[in-house]
Amino acid sequence: MKTRHAHLAWTIAAALFISGCATGPDGNIYVPPEQKPESRKDAPIPPEVRPKDSPIRKSEQPPQSVPEVEDEDGREESGSPSYQEQGEPLSPAAASLMKQADTLLRQDNPRAAVSQLERAQRISPRSAEVYYKLSEAYVAMNRLEPAEQFTLKGLSLAGNNTRLQRSGWQLLADIRRANGNTAGADQAEARAAKL
Amino acid sequence: MKKTSSPRKSSRKPASKAPGSRRAPWFWRIVWRVALLGFVVLAGWAVYLDAVVTKRFEGKRFEVPSRVYARPLELYEGASVTSSNLQRELGLAGFRKGDGVRPGSFSQSGPRFVISTRGFRFADGEEPRRRLEVTITNAQVSRLRVLSGPASPIVRLQPAQIGGIYPAHREDRVLIRLEDLPEHFAETLLMTEDRDFYDHHGVSPLSIGRAFWVNLQAGRVVQGGSTLTQQLVKNLFLSRDQTLVRKGNEAMMALLLELHYDKPEILETYLNEVYLGQAGNRSIHGFGLGSQFYFGESIEDLDLHQFALLVGLVKGPSYYDPRRHPKRALARRNLVINTLAKHGAVDESKARQALAQPLEVTQKPSYTENRYPAYIDLVQRHLARDYKQEDLQSEGLRIFTTLDPAIQYAAEYSVTETLKGLEPAKTPSPLESAMVVSSRDTGEVLALVGGRDSQFAGFNRALDARRPIGSLIKPFTYLTALGKPDRYTLMTPVEDRRFALVFDDGRRWEPKNYDGEEHGQVPLHRALARSYNLAAVRVGLDVGIDAVTETLQTLGVTSPVSGYPSMLLGSVAMTPVEVASLYQGLATSGFNMPLRTIREVTDAAGVSLSRYSLAVDQVVDPAVVHLIQYAMQETMREGTGRSAYRFLPSDLALAGKTGTTDDGRDSWFAGFSGDLLAVAWIGRDDNTTTTLTGASGALPVWSRFMSQVPQRGFSPVVPDGVQYHWVNTEQGALTDEHCENARFMPFIAGSEPKDRISCSGNMTKRLRGWFEGLFQ
Repeated sequence: MKTRHAHLAWTIAAALFISGCATGPDGNIYVPPEQKPESRKDAPIPPEVRPKDSPIRKSEQPPQSVPEVEDEDGREESGSPSYQEQGEPLSPAAASLMKQADTLLRQDNPRAAVSQLERAQRISPRSAEVYYKLSEAYVAMNRLEPAEQFTLKGLSLAGNNTRLQRSGWQLLADIRRANGNTAGADQAEARAAKL
Repeated sequence: MKKTSSPRKSSRKPASKAPGSRRAPWFWRIVWRVALLGFVVLAGWAVYLDAVVTKRFEGKRFEVPSRVYARPLELYEGASVTSSNLQRELGLAGFRKGDGVRPGSFSQSGPRFVISTRGFRFADGEEPRRRLEVTITNAQVSRLRVLSGPASPIVRLQPAQIGGIYPAHREDRVLIRLEDLPEHFAETLLMTEDRDFYDHHGVSPLSIGRAFWVNLQAGRVVQGGSTLTQQLVKNLFLSRDQTLVRKGNEAMMALLLELHYDKPEILETYLNEVYLGQAGNRSIHGFGLGSQFYFGESIEDLDLHQFALLVGLVKGPSYYDPRRHPKRALARRNLVINTLAKHGAVDESKARQALAQPLEVTQKPSYTENRYPAYIDLVQRHLARDYKQEDLQSEGLRIFTTLDPAIQYAAEYSVTETLKGLEPAKTPSPLESAMVVSSRDTGEVLALVGGRDSQFAGFNRALDARRPIGSLIKPFTYLTALGKPDRYTLMTPVEDRRFALVFDDGRRWEPKNYDGEEHGQVPLHRALARSYNLAAVRVGLDVGIDAVTETLQTLGVTSPVSGYPSMLLGSVAMTPVEVASLYQGLATSGFNMPLRTIREVTDAAGVSLSRYSLAVDQVVDPAVVHLIQYAMQETMREGTGRSAYRFLPSDLALAGKTGTTDDGRDSWFAGFSGDLLAVAWIGRDDNTTTTLTGASGALPVWSRFMSQVPQRGFSPVVPDGVQYHWVNTEQGALTDEHCENARFMPFIAGSEPKDRISCSGNMTKRLRGWFEGLFQ
């Protein structure tokens, strides 16, 4: 069992090394606050409230007088859906914490590594790498259930990044195999092979 | 009677006969007997006092309250923090505005802060002292430089203490050991309070004599003759009255204490017991806490001028209170320093230096108690699962929570201000509100508001107001339906038409599309975005109430869910915290993530007792949740939540859902951005009606809150198995981007429509689409 875990840990490390080379999109989606809470005078005006004497309308829908949102051509204003094809790259701060976690893992101290990784996760929660590393720490503690879940979470953020996907599916296959779930492992392996 | 009295007489007689030869023998006999009796009584009393003294000293000497901390602020390049929030955070953590050189001080010039941290022992290791330069641009840390101390790209500030769990007597203290004392502290204390400490046996006749003489000369009581041991005994065991009996007890107990315990032990106990001030109903005991209370520093870091003040305070913490009577306090401190110098305990130059220093006490205690009653209530309930109340009150545990003071502030502000606007005049049953904010990606509860008066520690509506959730249930009905991609997609037309259900007992249920309107066939995404009731009930009945219930339970609902169809319109009652927990699964794309308020509990020495780790559990296919997220974003752009964008930038790409129950008894809003999930509720405690809907009550609270917090927009990663297509939702077919009614919409792969319609007739639009594509 121990050697199997050692092998697993090695695979993870290798997979993460490969995935580490991958980078995500670098769009700035950061939105600064509109108002500062301390300046009460400038606090945002709450949305208009209907006057007291208007009849109680048991609906949440906009009143009929509000026109449907359409542009001048009658084309429905659908806005552009907000989504992204990949997770986000690790921030340097999170990367430094992951480095610390690596050192702790090498010192056979996975519990302490988890502490640092959770800090990293709070900083870069949309980077698949953080979750794969958490998974590695849980494998080191021989806690394969959470390890599998963190891999799944990482995979959900891999998007169309093939390298991150491949390392995730391989990691998942290894964890499932170590946990005795051969069918699940084969499935994951097949997914990795397809990429 | 006679019989009993006669032996007494007879026993007296021979006694009076015996010393007959001496002068006044009866007198001596009585004296002897009284003395003997007195001795016996005294011995008995001494034995009793001895038991009292040793009992207290043998067991646990002090009950040390537990300390509750906010999450520490992590500073790194890119961290979301505004200048004002950083200032507030520093204030809460006990930092002083100053030169930024002395540990615990900071200076600010424009967007640039220089912070000298004190260092803090976290469960996962020591955060050393550092001097930092932090520059804040656009509500983000744009530059972080470590000026001195170990280099690091990320630095944790010491966390603000936000509360404590106190024993019934409300004594607060931080235990210290003799070796924690800074140099000269012990001499200062002994020189001021008990010069003969190492020479007496509990009482010091010399001191009493000296005090007597000084007081006689002054004509009033200016000096006490009590030893430290006597003071300790007085504080530990006796009342404050100045009676002779009490004085006698004090002296005896002091002697007994000295008999059993050595000087260092007595001194250490004294250091931790001494009363040094008051903060509300909490009394400040011991130099360990005194040091933090007045200077925001650990005792070992105090300088002479600081601990001289603490020692001076022993004489009268209220009279010499440095915050209320700084002049008196300064005079007292200087007297202490001068006494030290006079007796050669410190050299002249050091004394002069100390005398030249200002008092340097912090503006106010580093936290005001009960600042966050609702949040602490939640923390206590979580702790109650794993810890006994008496341990929490006495073991000096350190509890590291997830509270974010800046977010809590914004949440409280939004609730209070919005409610003022919604109901300016006082009413018998005023509008009430509750709010829960969690971190979307970690499930950590960042803020909790239990009512419109957030300082009031009463009914905690965020945890205890269980109210029907109305339309907040609809995303889960549609989630259940979209889980069957062969039958439902976001585009599937659903019927929004009246119908009636007749139950076995003859009752009729005729759901209404509130405003009385029917909307005919509408695509599913719009039915959700506009919160159409009839469509939701029809879809719910089609997929089955049991299936919807199962979805709710999968996502963590544990309270019983009614099997009546009215549950499809949200007759299910939940508390705001439960709603937040339920919506967390939608926000994290199908991963259940238990809400957490505590990261770690350590003992007084910082050794971890329990960690509450991040946990994720995939319970719903992320692909299906992605479709719901799309419809919830549409709700904000075009549906019932769109008024939010009057105040919020559209790039936040929010996802949310309104909820209203009959006659506006409950107004709900639940939604999320990239970083935060927030749930707001408004209603009345007596459950009477309001004129509010989810969109006009809870949504303004929610959007006001969101407008104040720097955060990232919601932009989910497209999960495996989801593909976006341009479709015409009216026609139910694939189409081209430039066509009328074209929408870019996600589908579970394979469930997209097969037909394609083109809009070839409209040349202008095609050309426009072509040009737009060219310049994109």
